[in-house]
Formats: sequence, structure tokens, C-alpha cells
Amino acid sequence: MNAWKIAWFEYRRRIRSKWFLIGTFGMPILILGISLGTGYMAGSGAGIETKNFGLIDETGFYGEQLSLVLDKRFADKETPPFNIAVSKGSFESLKTQFDELVNEKTLDGYFVIPYDFISNPVLRNYSRSSSTFRSTDVIESELKELLIKEKATSLQLSDDVLDELFFDVDVAHFDIGSSQERETEELIADYIAPFIFMFLLFLGIFTGGQLLLRAVLEERSSRVIEVLLSTVSYNELMGGKILGLGLLGLTQSAIYLIAAFFAGSYYDLSILTPAIGLLYFTYFILGYLLYAGIYIGVGALFDSEQEAQQAIQIITFIAIIPMVLWTMVIENPNSTLVNVLTYIPLVTPFFMMIKIAVGETSIFQIVTSIIVMIISVYGSIRLAAKVFRTGILLYGKRITLPEIYRWIRA
Amino acid sequence: MIEIKGISKTYDSIVAVANLDMMIQPGRIYGFLGPNGAGKTTAIRMLMNIIIPDEGSILFEGGDQRPPANKIGYLPEERGLYQKISVFETLQYFAHLRSVPHPNDKIKAYLQRFDLGTRLQSKVSELSKGNQQKLQFINTILHDPQYIVLDEPFSGLDPVNQLLLKEILEELKQAGKTIIFSSHQMDQVEKLCDDVALINHGQLVTAGELKTIMQSEGVQRLQVTPVNAKDLTHQCFSAFNSERTNGSVFIEIDGHSKQDIIATLNKSMDLKSVKLAEPSLEEIFIHLVQGSQS
Repeated sequence: MNAWKIAWFEYRRRIRSKWFLIGTFGMPILILGISLGTGYMAGSGAGIETKNFGLIDETGFYGEQLSLVLDKRFADKETPPFNIAVSKGSFESLKTQFDELVNEKTLDGYFVIPYDFISNPVLRNYSRSSSTFRSTDVIESELKELLIKEKATSLQLSDDVLDELFFDVDVAHFDIGSSQERETEELIADYIAPFIFMFLLFLGIFTGGQLLLRAVLEERSSRVIEVLLSTVSYNELMGGKILGLGLLGLTQSAIYLIAAFFAGSYYDLSILTPAIGLLYFTYFILGYLLYAGIYIGVGALFDSEQEAQQAIQIITFIAIIPMVLWTMVIENPNSTLVNVLTYIPLVTPFFMMIKIAVGETSIFQIVTSIIVMIISVYGSIRLAAKVFRTGILLYGKRITLPEIYRWIRA
Repeated sequence: MIEIKGISKTYDSIVAVANLDMMIQPGRIYGFLGPNGAGKTTAIRMLMNIIIPDEGSILFEGGDQRPPANKIGYLPEERGLYQKISVFETLQYFAHLRSVPHPNDKIKAYLQRFDLGTRLQSKVSELSKGNQQKLQFINTILHDPQYIVLDEPFSGLDPVNQLLLKEILEELKQAGKTIIFSSHQMDQVEKLCDDVALINHGQLVTAGELKTIMQSEGVQRLQVTPVNAKDLTHQCFSAFNSERTNGSVFIEIDGHSKQDIIATLNKSMDLKSVKLAEPSLEEIFIHLVQGSQS
């Protein structure tokens, strides 16, 4: 009963705080803003710097041709990725001059089309840094096309035949049993949705965890903990806190999922199904409880937030793994690496959420991952209770790992 | 009645409390005294079941079952309050935890009495140190507990509020509550307590009824005031263990009879007054601690 009273107090005072509102509504707006903003910036070319390349053309033919096709390719771009200045002549005679231009930074680098390019198609690139590396892709593909066309001409193929030979292949996407082609936006939404679910889970779990850490540190540093512990038991206090801030995280998640559901309905996308919703909450609860144990244990050991945050950093680094690997999980949801990582409890909820949203998991994986999580939660909360009980009243004392080990064993 | 039987607590190699025995009678004010770092707070935390003793036991009414939380009020040494919520919410929350029925009127009445009636909606962090201490005290007694445990309750209070606190403690005693409070300010204890325990370096120096301790443990002294102030430095005082303070000389009676001392002094000077000096609790404490160390 007391645990519920504590839970309600924690929930009520946090949900009314302006930081909860800012965090809950501000964070998605911020993320959306950054995504749209960076998308716009990438599209606008504001982040692109035009590079200047030289080109020594020993063939006396391909250089000019390449320059023409590149001009055509970048015609609609306000900021082309690079300019190419073609010089006909031999590498030996022009080398010193071009090296100098690169060294005095007039050029970012230069290419050489060797005289035997048609029989030995190797384009050479000389540069000071690796920043020119990516630009070679475009030049490579354009030169390849020029070579094919050149070879086709030597085989006396007409322009009509050439047009027949060069064409693009499109892929039309359909749902199983549907005759309506899926739109690109829909495909993108489907691709990103698993990441969004994982990200919301991440946000909910770590918001709750961080608040828990602060709540414990606040009570510890203000000595409220003593008054509370003279009124309620350790387990009631710890349980109440975990429950209250967990409910806060659930509220936040519910807000996000409702928003995702309406956004999906508006665009006629069925991203959020009841099964996904149910599993989302299951993994949220298990993930939150696992991290709650860690956060509350750490909170009971330190006097200042700074020290506690430093200690928690290691755990946060592990939890970031799914954020880094999400594209790999979406594209290879059942690769050996992903399957192994899925069963590491600290990241299980995040990996499972992606796999579920992609639709590439099995009942077996869901059940076993839930069992792994339940066992881990039991361990985490049990250890946290032992650390909390002993550490919470040891003010101003630097606690060592052997001491913590002793408490856990006691 | 609360019986504390041989409780001890050691942190690493530091003995905070060693084999402490105390008997706290119901309906009385029990003073728990000692210098800073003597082990008072550790002992009180053990009494409150916040920390578990390494050895010994604490019995309430003869049993080891602790009374429910709403029967005990506890005021920790340092301010145990949430800083970012209002005065009213703070008291409501703890009243709720202790299952106080309809607490709002009670909260308002106590705040009025402690001159905090207008600060109902103020955040705790906006209150002065003294007002926070008053708020904490209200929080300790709001649920009308049978046992009231106060760790340094007078710290941070001005003389007017110290007087108010004493008044309320007297009232609570009249109402049959058992009050235990720790302090390093011996004069506060002397004026308020029925029983005391003196503790030093985690060990009990003495415990019992204050009046008895004052009579039995105090060093008997005569307060002698000569007619002429210049006689305060008269060499006849060197025959005794004496101390000169504020126009009087205090002579330890130990080993002499009162009559002998007075007769000796009368031969050398005219005396304005001679009276038996009551030892202060602080003097008794110092005397006992020095005695135990030697």
C-alpha cells in the first residue's frame, strides 16, 4: 500500500513538471526538426563543398567526353560536388605542374586517364587527402558508360540499338495478396517504423531510469531518505519509486504510440498493430525494470549526480549499440550476430522491438527473450535492493567494488 | 517503554556505537547527550530501524516488534525535506504515508502555530533554515505519534522558536508521549529532560534520572564571594582546588568539610556570601568523561 502512495507521489509531481512536458513533446519535435532540417540541408547542398579536380587526358578523347556528361549530370545542381578541368597531354609532361597545383591547394587532386585506357581501364587519382575518395564513384560510373558506348560504336551498333541497350530497371512493390502498388513514402515509412519503435522504447526506458537516479540522489542528498525510511520499509520505498517513474514512462510511451497510430491512420499506413503495441509495452516494462535496478543501485552509491552519471555511462554505451546497428538489424534481422545480440539482456528489448516491427521474428524468440528478460529483471532488482539497503545511508563515503560485492553476498 | 540492550555498530574499523544500554520510560522526555561524533545519530538511526545494529536488540513495550510508522515521529539531524515542492504538499505527502485521516485542517493549524500560516504554498527551498526546521518538526508530530525521536531539534532555531519548541515538547509530554531527543547543547537538555544518557566515543558514560545524576555525579563546590574584590586573588585559595569566575571563587569541597573551608577563609578575609554551587550538566559530563579516560 505504501509503495502505491510513493508511486503516486512520484508520478504526480513529475507529470506536472514543465520538464516532463518539454521532454515528452519537445524531444520528438526536436528529433523531427533535426531530421527534416538535415534532410533539407543535404538536399539544398548547403553541406557540400565543390571540389576542384584536374584531369590529365592521355587519350585526348575521354576527358572531354567525361567533362560534357558531368556538366549535364550536375546541370540542375546549385552546388555541384566537383568541377573538372581537363588538360590533354602526357602524365610525364604535366605531372610537376599538377602536383604543384595540388600542393598550393588550387586543386583538391587530379585524375589521369592513361593512353591505353580502352584496353586497361584504370583511372589514376592523385590527391593530398582521402576527401576525394567518394567522388571517384561518379567518375567511375560515367567513364564506364562512355567506354561501353565507345566499344558499341566500334562494333558499328546504331544509336537506336544503343538506346535499346541503355535503360533503367524499376521495381514495383506489392503486399502479398494485393494488386495495388506500394508508394515510395509507404516503403520508407515501413523501413523507418522499426527504428521509431525502438527509439521510443529507448526514450521511455532511459527517461524513467534517469528520473529514478535523480529521485534517489535528491532524497539521499536532502536526507529525506531518513524520514521516509522511518515511515516505510526499504522495499516499499524502492518499489514505490520504480513503480511511479515506470508509470510515467508508460504514460509517455502511450502518448507516443497514440500519436504514431493517428499519424499512421492519416497516411493510411498500418504501422502500429495491436500485437506490436502489446509487445512494445511488454518490452518497455521488462527493459525499464532491468535498467531501474541498475539506476537505483547506482543512485544509492553516490553523493553527487556528476559521479553517478559517470558511473552509469558504461551502461549507456552498451544500450546505444541498437541505435548504431539498427539498419543492420532491419536488413538482416536473423543474422547470427543479431540473434546473439538479441539475447544480451541490456539490449534485448531494443533488438526485439526492431525485429517484431520488421515482422522477422518467431514466437520462440519472443518467448525466450521474455524469459531472459524476466530472469535478468529478477537479478537486477534483487541486487539493487541489497545495494540500496546498505549504500543509501552511507553519506560522504567512497564506496569500493569489494564493499559492494560484500553487500551483495550478505 | 523502550529498552535498548547492548546495541553496537561498527563501520569498517570505526566503532560508532559500542554496547549501548538505555531504558526509556513512557511519558517522559529522554535526553541523549554527547559531543559531535559521539555516536548519537547512529544510535538514533538504529532506534528508528534505519540501520540494523551489528549486535544487541531494541524492544518496544517488551517485544521486538517495532510499532507501526504512524506511532513514531522522527526528525533527522539534517533537513529531511524535498526542496522543490510546497510546504503544504510536503506535509500532505507524509501525512498520507502515515495514514493520517483528513490531515489538511491539522496541517493548517500547526503551520499557524509555528508562524508559517502564510507560507502554505511556498516551496520548501524558499524557507529559511529555521523555518525549514519548524516545518520538519511539524512533519514529525503531525500524525500524533506515541514516540517522538528528535535528532538535534534545536539546531538552526532562534531563541523565540527554541522556546516555542520547548513549550510544545512539554505539552506533548503532558499528553503522555515518550520523547527522545539528542543534543550537544547540554543547557537545553538540562532544562527539559526527565532522564538522560551521556555518550562519548560510542560508549555510554552514564544514564538515569537527570536529578539523580546531577546530585550524585556533580562535583560539590562552594561559591565564595569576598567583600573586597582584591581578595579574589588571596593566596589562601591556593590551599584548595579552586577557580575564579565573575567576582566569585568556586572551591571544590572534595576532601574538605564545608565548615573547614569557611573557617580558613574567614581568617583571611571578610566574606560577602558563601553558597553551595549547583553543578551544570556540562560540568558533570566533562567530569565523567575525564574520569573515565583517566
